[in-house]
Amino acid sequence: MSKLLETNGLTVTFGGLNANDNVNLSVEKGQFVGLIGPNGAGKTTFIDAITGYVPMSAGTATFDGTDIGKMAPFKRAKSGLVRTFQSLELFEDLSVRDNMLVAAYPSRWYTWVLDMLHITPKDQAIEDHVDWALEIMDLTEDADRLPTDLSHGRRKLVGVARALAAQPQLILLDEPAAGLDTVESQKLGSHLREFLDHDMSVFLIDHDMGLVLSVCDYIYVLDFGQIIAEGTPTEVRDNPAVKAAYLGEHAGDLQAEAGSRMHDMQEEGDHS
Amino acid sequence: MDLFLLAILSGLGAGGVFAMLGSGIVSAYKGSGVINFAHGAVAMYAAFTWSELTLEGDIKLPWFDLIPNFGFLKTLHISNLPVSISVHDGGFENVQGFWGTFFPIFFGLLMSVLLGAMLHFLVFRPLRNAPALAKVIAAVGAMLYLQSTAQINFGTSLRTQDGFLPKGSWENALGLGGDIGWDRVWVAGAAVIMGLVLTVIYRYSNFGLATRAADENEKGAALLGYSAQRLALMNWVLSAVMAGTAGILFVGIATLNPVNYTLFVLPALGAALLGGLSSVALATAGGLALGMFSSGMVNIANQSWFPSDQIPPIGVQKVIPLAVVVLVLFLRGNKLPVRGSIGVKGQPRAPQSNHVLLGALFAVGVGLFLANIFTTNWQVTFTTTLVLMLIMMSLTVLVGYLGQISLAQMAIAGVAAYSVVRFASNGEKQNDFDAVAVGGLDLPDPIAAGLAILVAVIIGTLLGLPALRIRGVQLAVVTITAVSAIEEFFFKNESISGPGARTNNPVPRPSWFGWDVGIQDKTSFLTDRWQFTVFAVIAVAVVGIGVANLRRGQTGRRFLAVRSNERAAEASGVDVARTKMLGFAISSGIAGAGGVLFAYKLTIIKFDNFGVFTGLALLAFVYLGGITTVYGAVIGGLLCSGGLVNGFIGLHFAGVTRDYITAVGAIGLIINAIVTNGEGVALLQSDQGDHVLSGLRRKREDKPDDPPSDVADTNERVGEPV
Repeated sequence: MSKLLETNGLTVTFGGLNANDNVNLSVEKGQFVGLIGPNGAGKTTFIDAITGYVPMSAGTATFDGTDIGKMAPFKRAKSGLVRTFQSLELFEDLSVRDNMLVAAYPSRWYTWVLDMLHITPKDQAIEDHVDWALEIMDLTEDADRLPTDLSHGRRKLVGVARALAAQPQLILLDEPAAGLDTVESQKLGSHLREFLDHDMSVFLIDHDMGLVLSVCDYIYVLDFGQIIAEGTPTEVRDNPAVKAAYLGEHAGDLQAEAGSRMHDMQEEGDHS
Repeated sequence: MDLFLLAILSGLGAGGVFAMLGSGIVSAYKGSGVINFAHGAVAMYAAFTWSELTLEGDIKLPWFDLIPNFGFLKTLHISNLPVSISVHDGGFENVQGFWGTFFPIFFGLLMSVLLGAMLHFLVFRPLRNAPALAKVIAAVGAMLYLQSTAQINFGTSLRTQDGFLPKGSWENALGLGGDIGWDRVWVAGAAVIMGLVLTVIYRYSNFGLATRAADENEKGAALLGYSAQRLALMNWVLSAVMAGTAGILFVGIATLNPVNYTLFVLPALGAALLGGLSSVALATAGGLALGMFSSGMVNIANQSWFPSDQIPPIGVQKVIPLAVVVLVLFLRGNKLPVRGSIGVKGQPRAPQSNHVLLGALFAVGVGLFLANIFTTNWQVTFTTTLVLMLIMMSLTVLVGYLGQISLAQMAIAGVAAYSVVRFASNGEKQNDFDAVAVGGLDLPDPIAAGLAILVAVIIGTLLGLPALRIRGVQLAVVTITAVSAIEEFFFKNESISGPGARTNNPVPRPSWFGWDVGIQDKTSFLTDRWQFTVFAVIAVAVVGIGVANLRRGQTGRRFLAVRSNERAAEASGVDVARTKMLGFAISSGIAGAGGVLFAYKLTIIKFDNFGVFTGLALLAFVYLGGITTVYGAVIGGLLCSGGLVNGFIGLHFAGVTRDYITAVGAIGLIINAIVTNGEGVALLQSDQGDHVLSGLRRKREDKPDDPPSDVADTNERVGEPV
C-alpha cells in the first residue's frame, strides 16, 4: 500500500507553546487511522495544520506525493484532503443538499455563465454520490431542509455528509461523535467503515475510545503535542504509557472493554 | 516651505471637527458595536438647530408632518405632529450678551441628546442582535432620514453665518509669515480637550470600565450585573453630544447645508478607524492629522508643477487622506476588533425561485403593457424605475448573495455611463443646444456599451480587492471612500471624461443594430419614445433572469456559502478570494449595464447623478424591497424616490417631494431591518402568501384529525425573521 498522507517532524507553535511537537504520522491508501489523546493534546491543531488553517512552524506534510505545506486550504480540499469541523460550521442559508452540492460540484471559470443561463449540465455521477452520502448519513429525508431546522446531532452528520460529497481521497473527521446521543453515535460508527468501499481513506479524531478502538486499523496517541504511542487497536489498548497518560489505570480498562465488545458485535454483524 | 507648514496649520479647524466626530464614532462603537454612518448627520442637525435658533428663534424637531395637510385630511382637521417650537421671536441673534449665545448652543446640544436617544431606542436597540448588514443599513437609513428631514425643515440652501467663536487671526503664526483664524485654533483646542476628557472617562470611571468590559465581552459584563443596553444608551448620548459640539463649533468656519455636513462622516470614519475603533486618543490625533494632511495636500496640488489638468486638486484634498486610511485598514487586515455580542441573528434568507422564466414573462408583459399606455410623464418615471431596478440587481448579487457590503455600485454604474459617452462620441455636438462636444472613439453603440461595461467590471473588481482582507462594516467604509475617489478622479476629471466632466456630458443617441432606441423624440424633444422603454424592459428582464438563475446554480450556492461561512467554504474546496472577485465582477457588470441604460435615459449626464447619496438611497430601497431576491430589486425600484410609487404619490398628493419619499423610505428601511432582517417586502409577502395558501389547502383537505405539524411549520417560518 502506498502512503497517502505523511507528516515529518510537523510542529505547530503558538507563542512559546508547541501545540504539535515533531509529529510523524502516515495514512496509507484504504486505511482507517485514528488519533486519540486527552483534551488539549493538540488533535484539532494537527488537522488544522495539515488542512492549512494554522501555519506549520516546522516539518513537512505531503499528501498523495505532493508537498502541501504552503498550499491554500481550498487547494488542499480540492486535491482530496477534506475535513469536518468540531464546531458545526455549516452553510446555514443553504439546504442540506445544497450544502453538499457546494462541495460536490467543481466550479470552473465559465460556470457562472452557464449558471446565469441555467444550462449547467447535471452530472449524474455526482448526483448519485450525493444521494449515497445522504443515505449513509441517514439524511435523505432532511435533504431539502435548512440546517437550522435540524437537531445538533443531525447537523453534525450534515458536516460529515458535506465532506463525503466532495469525494475526498482522505476524509479527516474531527470528533464526529461529539454531541451525538448514544444511538446516533453507534449508528455513525457502524457506517464509518463503509467509507473505505468508496475509494476513501479515513482519519478519525475522537474522544469516544470505544468508537475509535472498534473502527480503526491503526491508532496514534497524542499527548502534550507529541505522539506517545502507535499501533493496532490491541497494541494501543495494552500499551502502559497510553493507559497512564490518557485512559487512567481503571477507567481505561472499562472503556477499552466496551470498545472491544463493540468491535466483536460488529464483526458478528458482518458475519451474519 | 513656510507656506506649506502654514497650510498644514490652517487645517487645524477641519482637523478638530474630524477629531471630535471621529471620537464620537468610537464611543458609539464601544457602546453598541455600530459604526454610525449617521454621525455627520447628527452634527448637521445640531448645527442647523443652532442656526435656526439664532436666525429665527425656532426649534425644528427632527421629524416632519407625517399627515399631509391638504385634501380631505385638511377638512377633517386632523392635527399634525408638532414640528416647530418657537422659543424667541426674531431669533437669538438680536439678544445681546450671554443668553443670546447660550440658548442656541444649549438647545443645539439638547437636540443632539434627543437624537442620540432616538438612535438608541428607535434604531439600534431593536437591532442589537442583528447581523452587521442590518446595522449598516439602519445607520445609512438614519443618515438619509436626518438629511432629508433637514432638507424639509431647513431647506437646501447654503447658510453662511458668523459663529460665536472669537474672531480675528493669529497674525504671523509661529513666525511662518501668514495668519491663522483663532476660531480654527479654538476648534482644535476643543477637540484635544474633549479627547482627553473622554479618554479619562473611559479609562478611569466606572462607566468607562463597564463600557470597555461590555465592548470586549457583552455576556461577561451582563453576568457582572451591567446592563449592556443602558451602557449603550449612555454612549449613544455621549457620542451624539460630541457630534453636536463639533457641528455647532464648525458653523462659523464652513458654510452649512444638509449635504456637506452629513458627508463629514467620511473623514470622521477615517479618524475613528485610525483609532482602531477603540481609542479616543488615537482617533483625536488621527482626525487632527487628517485635517492638516488634506490641507497640506491642497497646498501641494496648487503648486505650478502639479498636473492639475490630469488630477483635479480638489480630489487630492478630499481623497488622498482617506486613501491613507484604506491602506492602513488593508495592511492591518482583519486585526481590527470585531465585536462579539450575544446571539447574533443569521443573514437574511435567500430562497431560490423555481419559476424564473414564468415570472420574467409576466413581468415583461406588464412592462410592455405599461410602455404602451403610459404618456410622457409616466414614461419618464417608468424608465427611471427600470434603470433603478437594473442597478439594484447588482446589489442583489453582491450584498444579497455574497454578503459583501458595498456602497459603491452606483458609482460603478457612473463609470460605465461616463465611459459609454467617451466610446460612442465622435467629437461633434449631439444637439445644437449642447454646451460641449465630446471627443471619443465613435464606436457602434453595442460595442461602446460592451466596452463601458468592461471598464466598470475592471474598476469594480479592483474595488473588490480590499474585500479580501477587510470584512463587514469596515468594507462598507472603504467602498464609500471609493465613491468619493471615483467622483473626484473619474467623473470630474476632464482628461478622462472629456470637456463635459464638470458640467453636462451629452450622451450620443444610441442605435442598436439599426434600431433607434434613443429616448428623445427628434422633433418634440420629449423624452418619451416607447422604443427606449421596450429596450429597457428587455434589458431588465435579461439581467433579472440571469440573476435569478445565478442563485439556482453552483455559483449562487458558492456565493451563499462564502456569505455564511468563509472557513467552511474553504474546507469545501471553494476559493473564497476568487469567488469574492467573481461576485464583484458580475455585480459591477450589472451595475455597468444599468449605468449605460441610465446614460441613454438621461441623454445628458452629470456627476451628481451618481453621487454618494444616490448610491445610498439605492441600497436603502433595494434593502427595503428585499436584498436577497430579484423580486426584491423590482419592488425596490418601484418604491425608490424617482420610481413609479413616488410618481404616483407625487401626482395625487401635491407637495410631497423627493425628500419626503426618502425620509419615509428611510423609516421603512429601519423597520424592515428590525422586522424582516432585510428579507424585505418581497419575502414578507411571499411568506404571507405561503401562509394563506397552506391555510386554504388545509381547509380543502379538511381532516379533523390532521396532526397540526403543518400549522406549526408555517407559523414558525412566518415568525422566524422577527
